[in-house]
Amino acid sequence: MSDGPAIETRGLSKDFGGGRGLFDLDLEVARGEVFGFLGPNGAGKSTTMRLLLDLIRPTAGAATVLGLDIRAHSLQIRRRVGFLAGDFGLYPRLTGAAVLDYLAELRGGVDRARRDALAERFDADLHRPIRELSTGNRQKLGLIQAFMHDPDLLILDEPIAGLDPLVQQSFHALLAEVSAAGGTIFLSSHTLSEVERVTHRLAILREGRLVVVDSLENLRRVAVQRLEIEFAGPVSTEGFAALPGVREVTRAGSTLTVAFEGSADAVVKAAAAHEVRSIRSREDDLEEIFLRYYRGGAGS
Amino acid sequence: MTIAPLKMALRLRLAFTASAAAGLIAVLLAVGALFPAVGHTIGKLSLPQGVSQLLGGADYASVAGWFRSEIGSVYGPLLVGAVAIGAATSTTAGEEEDRILALVLAYPITRARLVGAKAVAVAVLVVAIAASAWLGLLVGVAFAGGGMSAGNLAAYAVHLAFFGFALGAIALAAGAGTGRRSLATGVAAAVGILGWLINGFAPLVGGLDWLKYLSPFYYYAGHDPLTRGVDVVGLVVLGAAALALTAVAMLSFERRDLRG
Repeated sequence: MSDGPAIETRGLSKDFGGGRGLFDLDLEVARGEVFGFLGPNGAGKSTTMRLLLDLIRPTAGAATVLGLDIRAHSLQIRRRVGFLAGDFGLYPRLTGAAVLDYLAELRGGVDRARRDALAERFDADLHRPIRELSTGNRQKLGLIQAFMHDPDLLILDEPIAGLDPLVQQSFHALLAEVSAAGGTIFLSSHTLSEVERVTHRLAILREGRLVVVDSLENLRRVAVQRLEIEFAGPVSTEGFAALPGVREVTRAGSTLTVAFEGSADAVVKAAAAHEVRSIRSREDDLEEIFLRYYRGGAGS
Repeated sequence: MTIAPLKMALRLRLAFTASAAAGLIAVLLAVGALFPAVGHTIGKLSLPQGVSQLLGGADYASVAGWFRSEIGSVYGPLLVGAVAIGAATSTTAGEEEDRILALVLAYPITRARLVGAKAVAVAVLVVAIAASAWLGLLVGVAFAGGGMSAGNLAAYAVHLAFFGFALGAIALAAGAGTGRRSLATGVAAAVGILGWLINGFAPLVGGLDWLKYLSPFYYYAGHDPLTRGVDVVGLVVLGAAALALTAVAMLSFERRDLRG
């Protein structure tokens, strides 16, 4: 087996016209990595995944999955990949067990005990017709079918959608096990909180283009920090607004809130010229960082 | 692995096909039982030639004419068409619109094999309807007083099956080629109905007689298999059309983006 990346795309593009699609995606996901793929709805996450599985064809560029070309060797790729489509359908009149039996036969070589263990783990109801199941219970079937053959790579489009917190916990534990065993996971989401606990690295996509690829730690490092400084009396905002790195200063009574990037040194030294009663530090929520990327206010 | 989608398609269409087959047999028995009472009374209807042609000659005075008009010209092809078109569109474009294929095509099966499995399923269902037609005819004709050979009844069932193959393949090509269920159903149904009308009326219009050769109905019923047995040319045309359209379905599905 090759030691190359689990997923590698070079200029991968799918132009749907009207500015919609995916444009010039260069991405590398290492083997054994849990990689988060984030972006608002319509950013191109599902399009990327569908391209990797040959469900749709690129208008430009190329990609490999597990070292195999996505067009020439799709069948071999699909043997080794587990996929959860973002908005999938199942036969509504059949039970979960009947559908999983069908999919297991279609794939071949699925261990029934593994399937049953997954069903137990997710507390999935396999004996009711699909049409009677809630969104979350249908999603459990989608997860079971993606994991049931112990794939080398999991491509999961919005895997947490509709799952209750307990099942989310089971799902996160499963991801950690798969990753520890050397499996690669490429999962998409439109909210960071769904993936921040499990991903090693992540990419953010906006309007079909890659905005940033980095680890969470690095993304946190560039976060805007805020200092809330309570003074003994009213202090003007002007002296602080002019300091290097400061983005915003707001005043509420005798308290100033100073938002800045980089070092706090200049802000603290400027504050020391007055009588300071208290200082509280607060980082931007990660969600705020991501919303800024989503809106196009950072990194581009 | 290819057997799985075949079994699934059969499973999903089993209830509809079984009730259609049971209904067909019941109607054939009832039609057969009615003949002794009303057939001779109705006799041969005096209708405009095109309408008479649409009704398979509208000769209700003989057992063969009775069944040709009652079953051969409308009910049989309508039923086999409904089964074939319904199965072909729901298992291709239907599953695509319902986003089932978005999951299934991420499995290790080529699109051509998947379409091939669906085509075989359609053929099996069509054969089940044709076999039911033969069975119903055997008993129905006996109820009517007999006088038709079992071989000719089988020949009719074979023509019915090949007609179903052709209509099913049209629906399969349109369904797999476009991913749109209603469009595929409409195209296949339109070919069936237009074919029926063309076969009835085209021969009446000087210079347009040749149009009947474009109608699958002509190859299904033009030779009158109920009284004259199998028409090899008709079967070859319908069979070749079905195979060619199935190949078109496979190729066009292989080449396009999955919808959604």
